[in-house]
Amino acid sequence: MSGASSGISPLRRLVRAELAAGIAGLRLFIACVAIAAFMLGAVWMLGAGLSRALSENGTIMLGGDVAVEVVNAPLDADLVVRLADLGTLSEVSELRSTAIAGDARTPVEAKVVDDAYPLVGEIALAQSADGVPTLAEALSEREGLPGTVVEPALLSRLGLSVGDTMTLGGGTFEIRAVLLREPDRLSAGFLVGPRVIVSEAAGRAAGLLSSQGLVDYRYRLRADDGDAQALAAAVAALEPERGWELETPADAGDRVRETVARVTTFLGIAAMVALAIGLTGAWAASRVWIGRRVRTIALYRLSGAEPGLVVALHGVLVAIAAGIGIALGLAGAGVLAFVLMDLLAARLHLPWQPAALASAGALAALTLAIGIAGACASALSGAARTPPGAAMRSADTIPTPRPRDAALGAAAIAAAILLAILGLPDEILAATAAFGLVLAAALLAGAGWLVARAAARVKPRGFVARVALQGLDDPAKAAMRAVAIGIGIAGITAVVGAQRSLDTALRAELPDRIPDLVLLDVQQAGIGPLTARVEADPLLGGLQASPFMRATITAVNGVPAAEALVREDKDWVISGDRSFAWAAEPTGAELLGGAWWPVDYAGPPLVSAEEDVQEAFDLVPGDTLTFSVLGRSFTAEVANIRMEYHRTFRPEFLLVASPVPFRDAPHSWIVTLEGETDAAVDALVADLARDAPGVTAIDVRRIVDDLTRVVEGAGLASLAIAGLLLVVGALALTAIVAADVDSRERQALAFTLVGASRREIAAARLAEAGTIGALAALVGGGAGLAGSFWLASAGLRVDFAPGIVALVLPLALGLAAALAAGIVGGLGAAPRGRGQLVRRLAG
Amino acid sequence: MHAPETSFPPSPAKPSDVVVSLVDLRLSYPSPEGEIAVLRGVDLAVRAGEIVAVTGPSGSGKSSLIAVVGGLETPTGGSVRVLGTALESADERTRTALRRRDIGIVFQAYHLVPAMTALENVALPLVLAGEEGGEAAAQAMLREVGLGHRMSHRPSSLSGGEQQRVAVARAFVAGPRLVLADEPTGNLDRRTGEHVAQVMFSLTRASGAALVLVTHDEALARACDRIVAIDEGRIVEERVVRDPVAAGARG
Repeated sequence: MSGASSGISPLRRLVRAELAAGIAGLRLFIACVAIAAFMLGAVWMLGAGLSRALSENGTIMLGGDVAVEVVNAPLDADLVVRLADLGTLSEVSELRSTAIAGDARTPVEAKVVDDAYPLVGEIALAQSADGVPTLAEALSEREGLPGTVVEPALLSRLGLSVGDTMTLGGGTFEIRAVLLREPDRLSAGFLVGPRVIVSEAAGRAAGLLSSQGLVDYRYRLRADDGDAQALAAAVAALEPERGWELETPADAGDRVRETVARVTTFLGIAAMVALAIGLTGAWAASRVWIGRRVRTIALYRLSGAEPGLVVALHGVLVAIAAGIGIALGLAGAGVLAFVLMDLLAARLHLPWQPAALASAGALAALTLAIGIAGACASALSGAARTPPGAAMRSADTIPTPRPRDAALGAAAIAAAILLAILGLPDEILAATAAFGLVLAAALLAGAGWLVARAAARVKPRGFVARVALQGLDDPAKAAMRAVAIGIGIAGITAVVGAQRSLDTALRAELPDRIPDLVLLDVQQAGIGPLTARVEADPLLGGLQASPFMRATITAVNGVPAAEALVREDKDWVISGDRSFAWAAEPTGAELLGGAWWPVDYAGPPLVSAEEDVQEAFDLVPGDTLTFSVLGRSFTAEVANIRMEYHRTFRPEFLLVASPVPFRDAPHSWIVTLEGETDAAVDALVADLARDAPGVTAIDVRRIVDDLTRVVEGAGLASLAIAGLLLVVGALALTAIVAADVDSRERQALAFTLVGASRREIAAARLAEAGTIGALAALVGGGAGLAGSFWLASAGLRVDFAPGIVALVLPLALGLAAALAAGIVGGLGAAPRGRGQLVRRLAG
Repeated sequence: MHAPETSFPPSPAKPSDVVVSLVDLRLSYPSPEGEIAVLRGVDLAVRAGEIVAVTGPSGSGKSSLIAVVGGLETPTGGSVRVLGTALESADERTRTALRRRDIGIVFQAYHLVPAMTALENVALPLVLAGEEGGEAAAQAMLREVGLGHRMSHRPSSLSGGEQQRVAVARAFVAGPRLVLADEPTGNLDRRTGEHVAQVMFSLTRASGAALVLVTHDEALARACDRIVAIDEGRIVEERVVRDPVAAGARG
């Protein structure tokens, strides 16, 4: 053979002939690749889609280039004028209120917007009989009635439709359109009810912006000259003494971003594990395939094929199979990622570009292609080294690869892992995870090597023990099998352990369903009648009323709060307005230090700081805190430190002050109560709708049920990830077991001829496979648990709580691997059935 | 013309016991097209110390005959008595015990355990029998077949003739009363084949075992005590080359 033309033509002919015969022998290989591609692709596409949607839409989420927020009282009018001088200004106020229609009422998240809203992004309203109105049209006054747009949930809760009217605050509104998407939704916090948008004039007329309610006032600015940074600096310079929370697009949706980063990291590490297991499976499956073709390859060689042609032929066939696997996996991943992205983007009220998925999919394909090339290198190198003489012998083991090819393969796998690391949002976490996987592989290889060395030293007399040990005494083979089985166990255990920890943490964050009802904006005059109403109903009780105000901590011992901070992770205590109350008597929370003030204390303000505040500033009783309430600044001595549990819907206040002078400030109350039956709670809510329309009733029962559904959904999703990993693991295991089947069958035949029974052969194989399985379970499981501890604490930042599943799983997987290998290599390998043995003997 | 018949040593035994007795032996295999009859009523008796050659064209049922006598296949009709055990009704355990204790088998394809050394392969039957000093016996047997210098080699580093001598040593090491050999020289060149056959014959004669040898090699068949020709699952010719008892008496 000489020249390129004569080299290409035979290759084409051979490839065509092989394809015509089919590549069914590569089914296992395709399955391993497809499922790894599915996991890697789905995770990367989803992660990339979400990250890009969040990073590209910071301005939209914030509602402008710069935003400032104050609570309770709006900014002074002259400050608003000065802000308006800096750029285009939009004022938006948000508050919780109650929408009422007839006897039905539901808490809502009201948003009062000016004509400039939205400064950026678009409001999406649903098509109605009159077409799609603009926001301004929908909110305008028609025949004496102002308009409103509402989320679909409101319509279903109140049994209304577009065109009906409802009461909000002290006004009546006509529902003009259904709100589908609100560009700045992520700038709002936790929403307890459906969104209702009204115009500023109508909201003011309905009394929604009264000084006693809890209102978030947001002022968004757009830089007219496009210089957002200069605008932010100019706005920051105007900060009033009462303080405000200033945000730029980089800060917008930070909680969502953090959640997305956390989830993407978890999923990404799961995908990396899937990649590692999938490549292990592809490695084993390619060796099985080449192993079964050794005679065919030798015949090609006998017929004059050069090693290069053999490699090219098998490389092309493997590439075609890999292409099919990658295409199948990524197609499934693409569909899943598209559906999930659409769902999540709608939930987050964000626009997104499907193109973001394509680039992530392409990167996943490239990573897989490189990794698979590396995984198949040893089998292909072995194919190249198959001597023509192998056709004459009953050889079906692949010759060992050339060291150079093995090194190239390892380098390709390393490159694929590097790409996988770079594909994750937190490269350091990803690199640590990859390092952990490599370390686990090294530990497994070392343990396998040690077991082989030990097995070689022992010479037991019995057949079963001798054959079992003989199967273990090759150090390289034992190390490889320990890695092949154990790396899957390690990865799956790590992910399952982390998943259980995350699930436990999410469930722990679920609030207790106590109280059943939270009433906001209860006025001073309403407390008495409400208490009487609750006392009159034996099915209601547990009433607690607290003043509800907001405060911003501005200084500690005279040092500006930001400088006084000693714990970065507690910076949220100085970020904007925080919950504040006054109380004469102890609130019932545990005191960690200091003492409560006397009931009749009327001196200078004292303050009780929650534990988070204490930790943020390393406070001790006697220190002073300066904070602003309702636009006024106060400095108070810290009387004590309180501990709250953050797990209930009871009001928990960061700061609680002595009554004077706050008792006389305008404020509303927050009331919590419990009901023995849902009917009793429902009846109270109906009475309040009639007697106290200004009170917002938050039905904790519904919120807890909603949260439980979310947590259970997250739990199910992460369980599905772990389940998929198990499937990849099972496929890889099948490939690993299959890799040995032929030689096991030959050995079983020889044992049968010399008088070994099926039971003895099976017992020997089980003992051998059980040793490797136990080794993989112990070392891989141990490494996996260590990995899940790291993943939970460093990656997901939750307490490590792997649960019994993560402890039992490695043993179960090791046992499953041992049983599979034992049964296939033992019972299954011994000839059975009429004619089987003679056929094999002849072979 | 192949090697002269006289090059093989005569039997020293005085055989009187019937080691193998086949009466109307039938065997068929299932196939998608229905049962395929492989043995269609074979009657044969082999005495201790006797070397019987089974010849016949490919597919005539020679290997299946070996498989049935070795307890590796169960007949679908007739009776097989090997060393007093009725194999047609024996369970797997009984057949395994018989093979382990009393039967040695050699095949054309060697069927050695690739992962084991020559010594480990030969010692295997003794290990299975739980015999003490198995390794020494295996070493002695390997020396006897001329492989004293190859004991620690694995099959992959042995030549075809050497692998077959290991297989022969393994078949004889536990002192079987019956040895079955299916084309033991089929993969070997003539000289090596003769050497292997000579080793087998001398071990058989020395131990007084019966040897049933399937072969295509006319010369090798003529070196045996009796030749049984099989075609289409039936014995079509039976010819006594020499009487081992008489030969033994002369010897």
